[in-house]
Amino acid sequence: MGAGDGMRIIDSDVHPWINGDIEGLLPYLGMAWRRRFEGRTRLPDHPLRPPLAGATSIRGDARPPGGGAGGSDPAYMAEDLLDRYGIEHAVLSSIQAGKLATLPNTEEAVVLARAFNDFFLNEWLSVDSRYKLAACVAPHDPLEAAKEIRRIGSEEGVVAIFLPLLNTLMGNRRYYPIYEAAQEFGLPILIHPTGTEGGFQTSVAFAGGVPSTYIERHTVFPEVAMGNLASLVFEGVFARFPGLKLVMAEFGYGWVPHVLWRMDQNWREFRREVPWIDREPSGYVLDRVRFTTQPAEEPEKEEYLLQILEMIHADRTLIFSTDYPHWDNDVPKSTFRSVPEPTRQRIFYDNAAELFGLRTPAEV
Amino acid sequence: MEHHVGHVTQIPEREALIVTINGRSIGIFKVDGRLYAVKNVCPHKQAPLCRGTVGGTMLPSRPGELEFGLDGGVLKCPWHGWEFDLSTGECLFGVSDRRVATYPVEVRDEQVYLKLR
Repeated sequence: MGAGDGMRIIDSDVHPWINGDIEGLLPYLGMAWRRRFEGRTRLPDHPLRPPLAGATSIRGDARPPGGGAGGSDPAYMAEDLLDRYGIEHAVLSSIQAGKLATLPNTEEAVVLARAFNDFFLNEWLSVDSRYKLAACVAPHDPLEAAKEIRRIGSEEGVVAIFLPLLNTLMGNRRYYPIYEAAQEFGLPILIHPTGTEGGFQTSVAFAGGVPSTYIERHTVFPEVAMGNLASLVFEGVFARFPGLKLVMAEFGYGWVPHVLWRMDQNWREFRREVPWIDREPSGYVLDRVRFTTQPAEEPEKEEYLLQILEMIHADRTLIFSTDYPHWDNDVPKSTFRSVPEPTRQRIFYDNAAELFGLRTPAEV
Repeated sequence: MEHHVGHVTQIPEREALIVTINGRSIGIFKVDGRLYAVKNVCPHKQAPLCRGTVGGTMLPSRPGELEFGLDGGVLKCPWHGWEFDLSTGECLFGVSDRRVATYPVEVRDEQVYLKLR
């Protein structure tokens, strides 16, 4: 087994790539839409690129032998990631779909979201049943997004709804049709940095201003999660949608104790402003929100990691992820070596299995 | 032990008369003719609680709805805004287990008396 100790593994953050962006989606678009995208099939990149070979987030050594970008060949990824590390299920979310947040045109975003989902259902989930999909929706039109959830929500292997965020906090009621549909299908909402933050007028803005380097924008991604978590909790979204669950993928977790404590502290002081919050706000987070492990944080002393895991009740809230094939991916055998059982197994498998409803046939 | 505080007309409506008895600072309140006595120290951060305001608050409600109630029964700390039940000293709606001490107070022949253990 991949962790070297017989541990079971679910990877909750894996990124498949479509060669040529919209070029690769053309077979999933109607004729008129193919015409519409003629000559403009590239989705835009944030101008601040990682200082790596090719200025890309994708590992150069993950390139499939048959050609194309790393992450673009489901058969090769199965070998290079799933077989190599003994991963039982890999939840796919598309960074290219995240770039829908850059599109100023609602119809285009809606049509592309549909094409992304058809592409992955057809070209990935059918190739290997270990692949699971966080199906994307266009945040531009929540009613259309809800329709898309109802269209693909019952498809085999769809385990979450990836919501690329625009610059509106998640507690805002514009999103409620999306939450309602996701709850109806028992699918958690998954958010992930879209990579467009701070780079486009429609994208999520960073607090305080515009970061000027990749290192800076990569450092402050957690801001986005902090703001959205407070918004969801205090707007009463978890109280309105008692079945709604949320995955915060790749936003880190070391900041979580601070935000939980600060929310509870403020609630003791200002409960009357949000009187629908009738329990400690942190309780909603522990019950309904899950955080992915990658990039595993590297505190000054290893014991601090264990303390943080205890503070965030990691045996319930944390789920393992590699972020393959990105430059900063974590592999199971070198991740959380100091974390004792049974917490380690809960992080690597049980928490995600419960969240996504994933079990091996023997367990069902 | 019983202490004489003063004439009932000395106690303003919904605002504390703050007295010191045996070195202990205590606020005497009158709301719609009823009297309350509360220790003038917030159990949160030792603020002068009785310099806060008496009023009502928002009752637990459904998301997006507001319902005002408990008018005259809530003492709100002037520092962090913690809310206490004026008669029991408990934090409202279980936001904290901490409570402020309250004391029995009564009026005889228009004179106010406070009982301290």
